[in-house]
Amino acid sequence: MVEQLGFVALVKLVEVSEEHSNDFLNFDLRAFCVGRLSKNRQHTEADTEENAQTAEIERRIEQETKAEKHIQKLLLLGAGESGKSTIFKQIKLLFQTGFDEAELKSYVSVIDANIYQTIKILYDGSKEFAQNDVDSSKYVLSSENQVIGEKLSEIGSRLDYPRLDKELAEEIGNLWKDSAIQETYARGNELQVPDCTHYFMESLQRLSDANYVPTKEDVLYARVRTTGVVEIQFSPVGENKKSGEVYRLFDVGGQRNERRKWIHLFEGVTAVIFCAAINEYDQTLFEDEQKNRMMETKELFDWVLKQPCFEKTSFMLFLNKFDIFEKKVLNVPLNVCEWFKDYQPVSTGKQEIEHAYEFIKKKFEELYFQSTAPDRVDRVFKVYRTTALDQKVVKKTFKLVDETLRRRNLFEAGLL
Amino acid sequence: MHGHQGLKFTAHSRSIAGKKIAFSLYYHFFDDDDGISGEEQGRGSCPFDQRKTSDKACDKEKQKNGEEKMSPLIAIEASDLSMKDKSVAFPKGYPKMPMYQPSSRREVDSSQVLDLETAVKDGVLGGGGGGVITTAAFASDKLDLKIMIEELESMDVPTVFICPISLEPMHDPVTLCTGQTYERSNILKWFSLGHCTCPTTMQELWDDSVTPNKTLQQLIYSWFSQKYLAMKKRSEDVQGRVKEILENLKKIKGQARVQALKELRQVVQAHGSAKKTVVENGGIGLISSLLGPFTTHAVGSEVIGVLVSLNLDLNSKSDLLQPAKMSLIVDILNEGSIETKINCTRLIGMLMEGTDFASENIASLSLLVGLLRLVKDKKHPNGVLVGLSLLETICSHESVRSSFVNVGAVPQLVELIPGLTNECLELVLHVLELLSSTPEGRLALKDCPNTIPNIVKLLMKASENCTQLALSILWAICKFAPEECASLAVDAGVAAKLLLVIQSGCNPMLKQRSAELLKLCSLNYTTTIFISKCKLTRTIQ
Repeated sequence: MVEQLGFVALVKLVEVSEEHSNDFLNFDLRAFCVGRLSKNRQHTEADTEENAQTAEIERRIEQETKAEKHIQKLLLLGAGESGKSTIFKQIKLLFQTGFDEAELKSYVSVIDANIYQTIKILYDGSKEFAQNDVDSSKYVLSSENQVIGEKLSEIGSRLDYPRLDKELAEEIGNLWKDSAIQETYARGNELQVPDCTHYFMESLQRLSDANYVPTKEDVLYARVRTTGVVEIQFSPVGENKKSGEVYRLFDVGGQRNERRKWIHLFEGVTAVIFCAAINEYDQTLFEDEQKNRMMETKELFDWVLKQPCFEKTSFMLFLNKFDIFEKKVLNVPLNVCEWFKDYQPVSTGKQEIEHAYEFIKKKFEELYFQSTAPDRVDRVFKVYRTTALDQKVVKKTFKLVDETLRRRNLFEAGLL
Repeated sequence: MHGHQGLKFTAHSRSIAGKKIAFSLYYHFFDDDDGISGEEQGRGSCPFDQRKTSDKACDKEKQKNGEEKMSPLIAIEASDLSMKDKSVAFPKGYPKMPMYQPSSRREVDSSQVLDLETAVKDGVLGGGGGGVITTAAFASDKLDLKIMIEELESMDVPTVFICPISLEPMHDPVTLCTGQTYERSNILKWFSLGHCTCPTTMQELWDDSVTPNKTLQQLIYSWFSQKYLAMKKRSEDVQGRVKEILENLKKIKGQARVQALKELRQVVQAHGSAKKTVVENGGIGLISSLLGPFTTHAVGSEVIGVLVSLNLDLNSKSDLLQPAKMSLIVDILNEGSIETKINCTRLIGMLMEGTDFASENIASLSLLVGLLRLVKDKKHPNGVLVGLSLLETICSHESVRSSFVNVGAVPQLVELIPGLTNECLELVLHVLELLSSTPEGRLALKDCPNTIPNIVKLLMKASENCTQLALSILWAICKFAPEECASLAVDAGVAAKLLLVIQSGCNPMLKQRSAELLKLCSLNYTTTIFISKCKLTRTIQ
């Protein structure tokens, strides 16, 4: 009955109850009336400005929530050094404004760091091999180079690196050309030699130039261990220049200690792009030199597939670093990796490379179906062969990924 | 009477009114309007080939007119006559043969006599539009009537061209005294059997002469030439179009490529001649090359749609069986519409037959999973059939079977059983039987709770083959795990069914197998309990 009382009556009631606080109306009823009145007061009094602001904020929240629904979330996952950040950079180059001069220049220090770190690893490695290996003589450097080596090793252990100049570049170049270092490099899989080594070592003159501005390719090769999460938002431009799809791509660190941060990103993901570098079947982890990288990738993929929040998520598996794989697989048999121990080579040359690739692809496929519960079999799973450094390949691959995701959307909306 | 009216062959009206006018005016034609006596006209010579016509033939023309069999070709415009003429539509005397007088052609009215070719061109006899006839002389031996009739088999031939005896188009039509026209050889054969009647009217023939019907023969020839040349032209058009599209495909990309492929697919599906053209112009190689690691779904599905309608030779098949192309086909199968799925499945089936492939390479897990998804889709039964056929083909290779079981095929296939057509049932059972030959398969079959009930139901139900396969599967499971399965089977009513099999007219092998199975199932029961479990009727007991 109280609810039906008009404004005036309510006021009267409150007044009366306030006068006779304890014996007229019980507390709850009074509180109700006061509450009602204060609400009325909000509308009647000239608090319009405040209201206008609240309304504006609410409307904006609503708009953004609606817009968010159309944004498709893509996650780049994978073990360390699998190529996630390179793909990230490629997408930036393809679908956003790319890198401006300032950004390009910011990579100079990164490239310098790469060079110093790499040459140090090689030098230290050669010393180690010279000590422990049976055939030690081939890892012994010439005396001048040893001097250079010590100097560079010291630089490489600093926190701040000096800018690469012509003098240093020449010294590094000489060291690189030493046969001992080359022999060490041939056993690079036993050390933590990064994949960009050859590329940078062969371009030292250019990189040491005083006015050096990194090219796009240099930036793609530059190696930085990602920590935390980076994101970009983009819209792939189709043939007819309008696409409508908005993607938000997240790049993460791949090393073990970074993975605990992944879980925060797992909600509402449209697709996971899982990068696996297929050339590292004979390498060990940066964070654990006892563990084979391919086995680590295998376990990681398995873990990701079983995540409950990925029940409906599409999985795009990028079997990456095919260019390095091509060169390696004819010389280093796949069976050095435990997962591939049942591999039988069938031929030579290009055919063999294809055969080896198909074998690995099949292994991942098997893993996928093993780790996927029967009720999840409907989610999209596609495998792509990529070389993240090649912009054309990445563009074409992403076009296919985009097509698949769009078809998936239509299918889920019941339009297919 | 007015002077001779020119005949006008109009694009004739098939209406009743038109026919009525035609009939009435036909009579008018035979009226004595030329100042020549009826008798004279009647006994004159045929203006075309100067042979004597008999009175009676003319007489019988009149009878012929009364029937619907008259050629509707001759339709004279009503406007050519005055009302007065119409009143004498039906002649009192003999009908007269029309005298063709070339000079009267130059009379005032705009009516003209058309030559046969032009007349037929406008489809006077119906049968749809033709094209333009290229110059084909009447007695051209280039176009042999027999060949044309053969090639145009599917066309609807006008009834007037058909011999009533053989129901085939006539090559050499002859007319009897009754006015009926037949194929010469047929009617002569009729006569040689001793008959003296007209086959259609059953009248006694008062005159056994047969008159060649040259008019009709020329008409038939023209009509067929017309249609034949049009068909050839159409087919050339199609071939030309196909060549054009193939040339285009070498250059264009993107959306235009998709459109071109769509068009190619439609043309190939509609015209058989197009298929030949594609093959002859290296089309198969060209469109197969469009399938690569970066092929979009849109392009890929159209290419597959075209390939599936063509005959692929061994080289093309080996080319398509390359792992990269196969995984593309499988991806498209998994993502496509039901039509695309069916095309992909059929294509893979085509590729597998006749090639010695390594099945491990073809039957990837993605393919098996995709096919399972296809066969579970009850909304599209033709997909189910095609999918099951391919699965049967794949499972005939031993190496694939265990991987297939590992992706959970068995429970999904078992669930599928109720509600399938007989054809599909045989396929499913065959697949399950093949899987039961592996240890994983047997385990999966045993573990699936619906296996035994569903399969027992199929005994003696759909066909003998089904029963045989069902029996085989049950035997495999029960042998594998007798304690568990025997009781389940008995509970599902297997005993009664097995007894039915034993008593039926099936082949002896089947009966023996049933007996063995029955024995196996009964091992754990005493006789009385077993019999009660069998739920037998008293008579069988």
